[in-house]
Amino acid sequence: MMDIAIYSLVDDMVSKAGTEGVVEYWLRVGESYAERMGKEAYVGWPAFNVAMKDGRTSLTVEGDVNVQTDLAITDKDGDVIGYVYALKVCPMAPTMGRYISRIGPIPDSDTDVADSYNNRIKDSAVSNYCITHQKFREVAANNITVAKQALECLQLANKGMTGEVKMVPENLARINVDERHIKSILRNASCVFALIVKGKSAGEEIID
Amino acid sequence: MAENIGSNPFVDVSVYLFFEDISDKQGVEGFTNYMVGQAESLAKSVPEEEYKTWDDFVNAVTNGESVLSSFEHIGQISEYGFVTKVCPFSKAIREYIKRIGNFNPVHMEATDHYNHTIQPSAAHSACMMHQTYRKEVAKRIRIGGKPLQYAQIAAKAYTGKIALPPESWKKVLLEKAGISETQGFMEMRENSCLYLLYVED
Repeated sequence: MMDIAIYSLVDDMVSKAGTEGVVEYWLRVGESYAERMGKEAYVGWPAFNVAMKDGRTSLTVEGDVNVQTDLAITDKDGDVIGYVYALKVCPMAPTMGRYISRIGPIPDSDTDVADSYNNRIKDSAVSNYCITHQKFREVAANNITVAKQALECLQLANKGMTGEVKMVPENLARINVDERHIKSILRNASCVFALIVKGKSAGEEIID
Repeated sequence: MAENIGSNPFVDVSVYLFFEDISDKQGVEGFTNYMVGQAESLAKSVPEEEYKTWDDFVNAVTNGESVLSSFEHIGQISEYGFVTKVCPFSKAIREYIKRIGNFNPVHMEATDHYNHTIQPSAAHSACMMHQTYRKEVAKRIRIGGKPLQYAQIAAKAYTGKIALPPESWKKVLLEKAGISETQGFMEMRENSCLYLLYVED
């Protein structure tokens, strides 16, 4: 029942703190959630990917993740710097389904808050919950090391309840993966992201 | 029975953290007000219901067909006495403890605030939301043309602590439920929540 509260809570919060205020709340929640989950260290990518498949990492508490081992991301020297992962089911999907069947249509405030985030921060949210979820992944990835190197999470694409898709072209370019490939993964997933060694990219330069 | 009342605990835990963040900014009073306010809003969003007879209502609520049983499995123990075996928040509470650790003390502070300023019936912060939801949803249900009434008798927290009303209230509520105090305690061994649902004569 706690999850159902999101919609009425966000509705209330929008009337008191505005959509921007709710975005700020969600960002802080994502950050504190990830920080409170603690740090993790893995000896290498195989160990990390097994942990992802087994649901043992802080990044897989939200649900089963397909590890796209055929999509290893390499740097200019051919060294593996990360992989692409696909979350099978959005954690909000059961809540949305129950809300619609038991209460009614999802309130407009859901889209209003997502739009506020998309217009001001990053165009990557298909619902208001994406804000905290993506922030959670971003901070949680920074708390994980693989072969003693901190990770960075790049949001690539996600799919909303009505089928709308959000792609993040700058992140796709950074890992040099074609949009069509990500779309094919998204057919059987709700969210696609990459985990790479912090600051690295598939290109030549190191990102600050 | 109510189908698919489960949720993804990732979402549940983040809502607890959302309320904690509110308390950082607006204190325990803000936490309590938001929790109660959003439960009222949620209840006002649900469709209204009407039943011809008390038995029709009892069948619907115990079979998970009423909005009152959208989020929990409700059982009947006497004509007006009802129980919820498993608190619908217990999974979220377990997941919070498993993933993050001890509950932030602000949850108990808000519970105390609710018990002192609204009514002494909450065993945990989630009870504030749950009991407010039940109270407001009851107003949207009519049986034989009369509105449903709801009154909380006992609620059990994940720590085992049971919140009970003051002695004078408890006696009246148990009498209305048609059960003795001993029977009430026996029910609370098996269930997480005991309450009255009735219509005024």
